[in-house]
Amino acid sequence: MLSKQRIPGLAGVSRTLLRMRELSVIAVVVVLLLYFGVSNSAFFSSSNLGNIANFTSAAAIIAAGEVFLLVCGEIDLSTGMTFALIPFVMMSVNDHGVPMFFAVIIALLVAAVIGVFNGLVSQLLKLPSFITTLGTLYLLHGITLKVSNNFPRPAPQDGFLMKILGVGEWTEIIWAVLLVTLMQVILTQTRWGVHTIATGANTLGASEAGISTQWVKIRAFMIASTFAGFAGILDGTHISHSFDPNAGGNDLMFEAVAACVIGGTALIGGSGTVVGALFGALLLAVLQDGFNIQGVSATTFIMIEGIAILIAMVLNTQLGRLRRGVKEG
Amino acid sequence: MEFNEAGPAASRRALLRGSALAGGGVAAALALAACGSGSSSAAAASGTGNFPATPKFKFVFVNHVTTNPFFQATQYGIQDACALVNCSYQWVGSETSDVSQMVTAMNTAITSGADGIAVALVDQTAFNAPTTAALAKNIPVVSYNADVTTNARLTYVGQDLYAAGQQMGQKIASLFPSGGDIAIFIATPGSLNIQPRADGAAAALKASGKNFTVKQVTTGADVNPEQSAIDAFTQGNKSFKGLFAVDAGSTQGIANVMRKYNLKSQGYHGGGFDLLVPTEQAISDGILDFTIDQSAYLQGFLPVLYLYLYKLSGTLVSPPFTDTGLKFVTKDLVAAYLKTQNRFEGSAAKQLYLH
Repeated sequence: MLSKQRIPGLAGVSRTLLRMRELSVIAVVVVLLLYFGVSNSAFFSSSNLGNIANFTSAAAIIAAGEVFLLVCGEIDLSTGMTFALIPFVMMSVNDHGVPMFFAVIIALLVAAVIGVFNGLVSQLLKLPSFITTLGTLYLLHGITLKVSNNFPRPAPQDGFLMKILGVGEWTEIIWAVLLVTLMQVILTQTRWGVHTIATGANTLGASEAGISTQWVKIRAFMIASTFAGFAGILDGTHISHSFDPNAGGNDLMFEAVAACVIGGTALIGGSGTVVGALFGALLLAVLQDGFNIQGVSATTFIMIEGIAILIAMVLNTQLGRLRRGVKEG
Repeated sequence: MEFNEAGPAASRRALLRGSALAGGGVAAALALAACGSGSSSAAAASGTGNFPATPKFKFVFVNHVTTNPFFQATQYGIQDACALVNCSYQWVGSETSDVSQMVTAMNTAITSGADGIAVALVDQTAFNAPTTAALAKNIPVVSYNADVTTNARLTYVGQDLYAAGQQMGQKIASLFPSGGDIAIFIATPGSLNIQPRADGAAAALKASGKNFTVKQVTTGADVNPEQSAIDAFTQGNKSFKGLFAVDAGSTQGIANVMRKYNLKSQGYHGGGFDLLVPTEQAISDGILDFTIDQSAYLQGFLPVLYLYLYKLSGTLVSPPFTDTGLKFVTKDLVAAYLKTQNRFEGSAAKQLYLH
């Protein structure tokens, strides 16, 4: 947060920038963009940027919810499975004659209920959220397979509602940016956000100060699940025009959590940034897309992706140290 | 029948009585037979069709990708066959081609006394010991979908993964008579259910003698990023005009990407495996060249029948090697697939008479 300077001079600007928690991840993304842009002329084409946007969006939307959970010291491992389930809930409800608009609302409500379930079980039964959501993960996966008869189905494409829910060309990334901005504002500017941070930084102190920490956490679980379900609807509608019971899953959940951590949210809780998570998701997307466009061969690809993530994180932490050095100095 | 010593008249009466009895017996037998399968005699009270009563056999199917939609059709086949012969089944294994999980599942089936086992042999050696152990306990074992000839299984039902890839490679070679740059998209390199297909295709292209450059491209196991990966590759590697895949998700991705950029009109050819709806639609619209149907339904249906007959006949009816066929579904054949969603392709659970 800015302290004294109101109209910073040039030196002041760079100091301010360096104080930004998100700077390190943004810097790494810029480096990667330059590297891949130079290596391949098609990298900055509109269609490739569209691909990068597609790679980023699902993880970014889920990450927007997971940040809240990570900040208050919890985690939701089942978001990848909620991602796959909610589109099928939406389609089932629609199959029974409910207009699509209400089907979407009902499906998102179901997602919120999943979040409430995760929250209640972990908070009231005092189970670590890691364990609770691990159980929910398998439960939801099984339910998805049953509800979908273990077979993908086409996503609806017609109508204005579906246009804004994914059919339109840049809709998915626009939703991602909107939701990230919204959650960043909530986290940093509202009382609820402050309570979330306080709950994560010092749960005992926060509850002694009168914050209902259990409800703060349950709300965070609700956000994470709802965002995951929404991302599932957007992603299937936008990219493959089809809902798949095996879409998303644990890989996507790990990607979202990795995006949060790469972006500067601490795994142990107490601090976080949603904008950072967006750039974290962007970083992973640029890596994935960049290597694809280079045509890196299949077996080498996975190895290189792992090394690249490690290098990106090392750069990230070193820049972070530099940033803290400037802040203190 | 009485034998009357009384003389010609009496014996004629006896003969007539005998014939009447015999005729009545024949008529009664015909009448019974005419009743059909519904009226089983008391001795065959719980048998199905013409078959006598047996205990309700339980067959365990061990699979390498239990949640893959390709095998949904297989499961429907198993269910329908089990209903026919009054058996039950269990579908176990690994979601992620984890051989250890599959071996554990198979061993559990053996110790819990399964009546028959069908296993996808996706590893050269891992299943050999469990198969021998099962056979030693008089549990018949057949393989389906993937086979290993050094395994002691009674027979194989399916199509060879490597051979399927080779056939695809030959098809690709025919689409590019003067060679070219070919991309083979694979969701998860090294996975035992799809890597052999890619290897077979690459080998066939090499053996064609034409100038082919083959690149294997990873797409990932998640269908949406898969499509984005294919999209990115085609945009950055415009010389690769052959886009082929060895798994359902990547094939669908190719279909959607070729549609998006209208690649067919730019001299591209595309194709792959399995019957997801966008894939079938693209073939019907002339965008994708072909997909490959491997009769997933039969790979479930036939093993159940074979195992049942083997058990019923006390090993007399030996299951035969069965090639379930590999069908190239091109534009002229795809209409039947698109007509209705059905159990045979795994796209719908409803029982339908398609005609």
